[in-house]
Amino acid sequence: MDNDYFSIDAILAENQKIQCTFKVDIPDMGHLAGGSDRDIKSLTKAPIPIWLAYIMLFSDWADFTIPSPFGTRVRNALKAEPRSVKLSNLVGAGGLWYGFGKMVMDILSEEQANGISEVLTKVHCLHTLCDVVNSWFIQAFKGRLLEVIDQAQHFAALGPAGGGGPSTDTAQSFREGLDGTERELFALAQESAKRMKRWHEGNDKARR
Amino acid sequence: MALPQSLRTSVTPLELELIASEQLVEIVPLITMEKTAFISGAYGPLRPPAKCRIPLWMATNLKLKKKCHIVPPEWLSVDFLLERLTRETSRPEFSKLPFRFAEIAKVVLDVASDDVQNADKIKSLLKDLREARQAKSRDGLQKLDHSELSLPNLCSMEINEIRPFFIQSMGILTQLVREPSAE
Amino acid sequence: MDVDDDDFFTNLDRPGRAANNNTFQERLRRASRDDDGAEIPDAPPFMFEEEEETPLQQLIRHWMNERHSPDILPNEGELLAGLLDHIRSQSETVQLLRTDPSSSEEEHFRIVLVQTEVERVKFIVRSYLRTRLFKIEKFARYIMTNPQVQQQLSESEVEHARRFARLTDQHFYHSVLQSLPETQQTLDDQPPFVPSMVTEPDKGRAVFVLARQDCPPVRLPDGTALDMRKGHISLTPYSVVEQLVARGEAELV
Repeated sequence: MDNDYFSIDAILAENQKIQCTFKVDIPDMGHLAGGSDRDIKSLTKAPIPIWLAYIMLFSDWADFTIPSPFGTRVRNALKAEPRSVKLSNLVGAGGLWYGFGKMVMDILSEEQANGISEVLTKVHCLHTLCDVVNSWFIQAFKGRLLEVIDQAQHFAALGPAGGGGPSTDTAQSFREGLDGTERELFALAQESAKRMKRWHEGNDKARR
Repeated sequence: MALPQSLRTSVTPLELELIASEQLVEIVPLITMEKTAFISGAYGPLRPPAKCRIPLWMATNLKLKKKCHIVPPEWLSVDFLLERLTRETSRPEFSKLPFRFAEIAKVVLDVASDDVQNADKIKSLLKDLREARQAKSRDGLQKLDHSELSLPNLCSMEINEIRPFFIQSMGILTQLVREPSAE
Repeated sequence: MDVDDDDFFTNLDRPGRAANNNTFQERLRRASRDDDGAEIPDAPPFMFEEEEETPLQQLIRHWMNERHSPDILPNEGELLAGLLDHIRSQSETVQLLRTDPSSSEEEHFRIVLVQTEVERVKFIVRSYLRTRLFKIEKFARYIMTNPQVQQQLSESEVEHARRFARLTDQHFYHSVLQSLPETQQTLDDQPPFVPSMVTEPDKGRAVFVLARQDCPPVRLPDGTALDMRKGHISLTPYSVVEQLVARGEAELV
């Protein structure tokens, strides 16, 4: 979730596609929609990478649908038990669920700020939607964070040979379900715990 | 690169040890030495068996050459640590300990365990204390938001251990919380 | 990145030099010989011993501030110059004593201890400078477009930023940009929807801060105020405590 122009992670995250519905005819761009048609006709639906979607939505050439990783089903599952959802399945291995969600949120607020949406009620809906999305993102993140760190520290304590771990199915399945952001946190916590362990166990008599 | 990746967002336990080793400890010297000017101050004279206060790094150096005994700090004792452990496990807040206690305890026990009474008992008390406090850091993680988390009496080495993922987590929360209209 | 630290040592402005003529031996002579230094008041078992910070302690504080701060902090040139002079005079004394065949065993211990300390201080100075170098390279373009930031750096640091920015610009140009249409060759775009091409310090990054004294209240991102008493420790975005750290009322730990 680095906000740097040269951040590779940010660039990769922008490759995520969202379902867009074209509002206008676009000649000679049929290949974008994946079909063999020469032109894109208005009302055509096509998955468009986020980096391209920004400008299309901003120019009011298309609308988009909230991507399924952030749909009601996922939301309800996360609400019921945040640790039970495999975020990695939703955005692909190494994918950034939070980063993707953040971008979707940005697009929503961008539309809102620019008054692109024609009707006031729609703006209102978007606003509420933003807030809702906002808060359940945070709940999801916080609901899973402790488990991420606990498992990272547990693994660090095992040492190099340890693969035993809490290899209960739930724990393992949770680990597999971490999204890229959580994986990074896991790695940070694990590395830090290992470093402390090395320090505590070391008895380096040749001191400075 | 000017600074290795691993040092960009954190400091190493050894660097913290280096800083903690600037602190003064009491020694019983086994050699004589006139008062001497160092960059950090003037120390000495050393006249056995009179006690003297010198920086921990110097004490370590002399101790390794068997030229002094280190007088452990008051808090590095079974009584004191036992009392803190009781407090640590019975109250929700972190109990008050010297800011660099972990580093100093480790250095003293590494090089001068023969100068410390009940060194083994102390080591196990320190471990218990560490674990009790780690559980509290974990509770802190639950209270984390994008704004502020007060951690009174958390110590240097403990901060360093939780630093990478606490900072990262707060960064993620900041991004998620950011007011849409503020974009 | 090949950077010669020594280059930095020699290029530093060194206003403290003239003031610092006390050599190791002179200070030795002046040091009182009675036992007053050995008198120890009943020290409490805790830290925060109320003493004036020595230059070395100041440097350690600035070193840690620099390591933890996402921003590049004002250069501590004067402090550094004083300590470098001190290192130099201690080293010279050691050299002198080393060559003196009449040095006693006691003298030998002193030499070893003085030299050990010199190495410790050198380590800190180097690490401090390297941390700054890392940031200077990372933010080279930002520094060069921002005269205010340049004022926080030493002359040689600004020069390094200038050379580094030019180097990367040239590299980008020769490897990619020259093949692009002219309008797309710039490196300082602020295009919509993407971050600025010029990397700036992320002052919103969280830091652990320790209040060195009672601090005036600061405003938190959630709108509330934080009132830090001496010894208080918080995790909060750097921008919240930036001024406290700059004034030395708080430090990063």
